[in-house]
Amino acid sequence: MLQLLKRYRELILVVVLLLVPLGVFFARSKRPVERSAVDRAVVWLTAPLERGIAFCVTGAFRTWTRYLALHGAADRAAAMGRELNLLQMERQQLLQERAEAERLRRLLGFVQSSPSRTYVGARVVGVQLGPVGLQSLLIDRGEDDGVSRLRPVVTADGVVGRVHSATAHSAEVLVLTDRNSAVAVRADRTRARADVRGLGKPGACKLEYALKAEDVVEGDLLVTAGTDGVFPRGIPVGKVSDLRKAGNGLFHDALVTPAVDVTRVEEVLVITSMEQPEEEVVPAATALPRKKP
Amino acid sequence: MKPLLHILFALLLATLQAAALRWLGGGSFSLMLPVACIVYLAIHAGNVEGTVGAAGVGYVLDHSLGTTKGLMTFLAVSVFVAVRALNAAVDVRGRLGFAALTATATLVMSISAALLVQMAAPLEVAPGLRLVPRMLLEALLTGVLSPAVLLGMKRIDGLFRREEPGLLR
Repeated sequence: MLQLLKRYRELILVVVLLLVPLGVFFARSKRPVERSAVDRAVVWLTAPLERGIAFCVTGAFRTWTRYLALHGAADRAAAMGRELNLLQMERQQLLQERAEAERLRRLLGFVQSSPSRTYVGARVVGVQLGPVGLQSLLIDRGEDDGVSRLRPVVTADGVVGRVHSATAHSAEVLVLTDRNSAVAVRADRTRARADVRGLGKPGACKLEYALKAEDVVEGDLLVTAGTDGVFPRGIPVGKVSDLRKAGNGLFHDALVTPAVDVTRVEEVLVITSMEQPEEEVVPAATALPRKKP
Repeated sequence: MKPLLHILFALLLATLQAAALRWLGGGSFSLMLPVACIVYLAIHAGNVEGTVGAAGVGYVLDHSLGTTKGLMTFLAVSVFVAVRALNAAVDVRGRLGFAALTATATLVMSISAALLVQMAAPLEVAPGLRLVPRMLLEALLTGVLSPAVLLGMKRIDGLFRREEPGLLR
């Protein structure tokens, strides 16, 4: 028997090493897999090695990404900085163009809302708003474009002023806030009449000849009356502010906040012809020659 | 001593493989590099040390793959016997032949393990045939990398080679 075992010991070993694991497998296969003490020992043995490998791999990656791969990063950063500057300039330009397009769209809407008038669009090329002298804007359209003296100058927001003098290719606009500038207005809410005169500083005008008997309150929108022979009717001039009813006299004492901030105007419309209001009497001295649109 | 070193080498391979797969693909593919040790043992080792070594490598596979104990051990010894029988009939030489044999052995082990688990384990935990493409990829990659394992196993065997004085080579 012993000789038999000795003779077939290799075969027996193979069979044992085949059958024992198979038996173990079938015995344990219905149960959930659990870690034995040997397994835990193997894990204990191999875990530091895996950690070491992970440390080496991580270190290699970090060395690559944080040091070696940064070769030329300064040049790339400089190039990207230049590109960023260019893009920022381009963006700024696009923003300006967008704002300009928006302003022009509003002007166009204003023009289309009053087809009985003809307009000449102009850009403001110069500003003179100092405390001494006339407060005026210089626009890039002149007599060759149909712009002449006393022509009303407006934007989509309201009255800017009137043409004070014109040359062939440019014109000077006396703005509403100049002391010499006066516009006949009506309160849009009550149709009360008054005048608006400049105070010589941007951002404020004075309400004149508004009878105390008339219903005028702060915040009332004032529009052109069309009776001064310069401005057509219904264009916003400003809003009543700082109204003081107390005191003597026949008229209200109030300020007017202009509808157009002349310090920010870039494009304007010069009204070159308009229909005269039928019910209003135009003073002969200020009447303009009418032009067919 | 030699089978123990083979088993430790297989353990080292399994550990390296687990760590490498963590970084390469994050588990999108798998490897069974210790199978190359079994194939090597089947070709080059003696019956006893080869069988013991294969069983040890099978245990390492059981441990690293997380299968039910005994499954991969049984399959490792089975593959050892099958490759040994094949090697008796066909002389497998060179890295290419070793790689092809390793890939085939890996695929056979994977499919056999799936079938055995289907037989023994509850149906819901048994791997299905949907995993066959993944098994094919695993076998292919293991075969591609097996020449490196072959070198390692030869190096271990080299530690035990004795120079016999007067022997002409």
